[in-house]
Amino acid sequence: MEIISQNSPEKKRFKYLGKGSEFGIIYFKNIILTILSLGLYYPWAKVEMLKYHYQSSELDKTRFSFHATGKEVFKGFIKIYVIIIILYAFLIYATQTGNGTVMFSAIGIFYLFFIFIIPFAIHGAIRYRASRSSWKGIHFKYLGDRMELFWLFIKGILLTIVTLGIYGSWFQVDVRKYILSHLSFGDLSFDFKGKGGDLLWINLKFIFLFYITIGIYGFWYYKNLMQFYVDNTTITQNGKSVNFKFNMKAGDIFELVIINFFLIFFTFGLATPWVAVRTLKFIFRFIEIEEGLDTEIIQQVSYDNYKDASGDDFLDFLDFDLL
Amino acid sequence: MTFQVQYFDGISSKTHQAFVSPSSLSWKISYKDEFSKEILISWNISKIKKADVYTKGLVSFNFGDHFPFQKIESNDPTFINYINTSEHNSLNNKVDIILHKTINRSISYLLLFIIGIALGMYFYVIPSVTTNFVTSLNEKSVISFGDYVFKVLSTSLDINDEKSEKLQDFVDTMSMNSVFPLKTYVIDSDELNAFALSGGKIVIFSALLEKIENESQLSALIGHEVSHIENRHVLKNMSKNMSGAIFVSILFGDVNGATALLADNAHLFSQLSYARNLEKEADIFGLEIMRRNKLDMDGMPQLFEILEEESQIDIPTYLSNHPMLKDRIEYTQKIANEQEEGIKNDVLKEKWKNIQDTFEN
Repeated sequence: MEIISQNSPEKKRFKYLGKGSEFGIIYFKNIILTILSLGLYYPWAKVEMLKYHYQSSELDKTRFSFHATGKEVFKGFIKIYVIIIILYAFLIYATQTGNGTVMFSAIGIFYLFFIFIIPFAIHGAIRYRASRSSWKGIHFKYLGDRMELFWLFIKGILLTIVTLGIYGSWFQVDVRKYILSHLSFGDLSFDFKGKGGDLLWINLKFIFLFYITIGIYGFWYYKNLMQFYVDNTTITQNGKSVNFKFNMKAGDIFELVIINFFLIFFTFGLATPWVAVRTLKFIFRFIEIEEGLDTEIIQQVSYDNYKDASGDDFLDFLDFDLL
Repeated sequence: MTFQVQYFDGISSKTHQAFVSPSSLSWKISYKDEFSKEILISWNISKIKKADVYTKGLVSFNFGDHFPFQKIESNDPTFINYINTSEHNSLNNKVDIILHKTINRSISYLLLFIIGIALGMYFYVIPSVTTNFVTSLNEKSVISFGDYVFKVLSTSLDINDEKSEKLQDFVDTMSMNSVFPLKTYVIDSDELNAFALSGGKIVIFSALLEKIENESQLSALIGHEVSHIENRHVLKNMSKNMSGAIFVSILFGDVNGATALLADNAHLFSQLSYARNLEKEADIFGLEIMRRNKLDMDGMPQLFEILEEESQIDIPTYLSNHPMLKDRIEYTQKIANEQEEGIKNDVLKEKWKNIQDTFEN
């Protein structure tokens, strides 16, 4: 058996090898099961679809794996829906009293709850997803502190309001930096080097150019944004940092978005699985890890067996998808 | 049998090119380490976990009940074939293998099945469930729902107490056999309109009342509204509309704006047609009330003729929640013609005069 030195620290490309038709079967099968079970099957459906995407993603000729189980996600799903139903019942009860003060305070509590719970949900979701994701048998791990993230959010929201949105760019960068710097993969660690000022500039250009170009600038904006997030992400191995790189051009995004739109539009949504596969294939093609990472010597450190998927379920309820 | 796999020990990310020889009790995995030393590992079959999702040209398995897990991954076609035909239920999923054998045919069947369920849900399950639900609601809840709506509405309505009282007298004299306590309100307004709320409240606008020429026309209007109340039309229409809309939005909400809009409009059309059926039901039920009260049933088509004269534009049937007035005149006249001639109700005529008296001052 020939063993080429796989330690050669060349550039590493991500590849998505899924097929629309194959994912289509999984997707439609799960829709049927979800409808027939009146929605209760949804957690299993979601897990199976994510597993397919993980297993279709390749780096260095090895696929990723997702180890979540429908049962774990189901427990979180029930927890979140019970809380949400109680909240709505409270809101409906309060509006029926016809008392203005009661009504407004109920609406206030309702929205504040949703805002305050978001950092906890993000924390839980990332920790759960990380602990359930692996590659070459090595697991990801997120060890951020939920209260630290919470205070980061409170500070960010308040300063964003006070500065009429300008601080929003710094806020986003802070959150990303916090999350990535607490994420690790075996003995590798991640970090985010982006600056709030750079993100603000990207956002300002968007505001000025979007209307002048009747929206066409949107494609450049999306490219700049992706590039800002990906290019500023680093992995550190034994004290040496390696960058991620995003190579897409605005024209590529244009092609992706327009074709996806027509696919969905003319099939009344039946092309959804093909569009999902197409999009992942497309985006993965442009992400690479620069020279210097040795993927053969990563050591497993410890395992964070985090079973609580409710954060993930809550973000799903808000239609907010990680990854 | 020996197959080629990639083996990961769960401790480092090192890829070991290995061989696996599966048997019914355990899998033997062998590879050479960096010092060319042969390493042998045995996996007990009961602790092997397959990747839960079918991916063509790839199989992967984890092993162990606690961390760190070992893993093998393989794209060796002979190994994949071995797994797919394995008798061991924990190693493969027979349903997935069948589904993925003829991909295009499976997709077509799955899609047909989805469309079938969706249509069945929308046209059969939802209407019958909501109708049953509304019919089985107890009267108290129906009344309190109507009271709640009226409480909200009444702040913007200009109720005329005198006319309301006279109209109430008229309605009380009619024989209705209603399970709900009927309460009538006359609203001072230039609009030609009338409506019923769940649980027994009937609201008639003064302009419409003034256009009415005799007691049988008024009883036609009242009969129509009472029929809405008796048959719980408002609740039926509302609950079917809401549950249908929720179903459509769940089905199409995640797709895209254009499709969702299309689906919403399709739902709106079907809902309008449902509402028209309820109106027709109310007309026919109203005629029955008139027959029971010995009133001239010609009053119903006459009432529609008055409305037709007054309305400038008639909305095409498919866009309206009421049937076209021409149609209504036709089918109510047909039923009215079956009634014998010379029918009259002197008591209600008297009550109608009392209402008319309020117009002069």
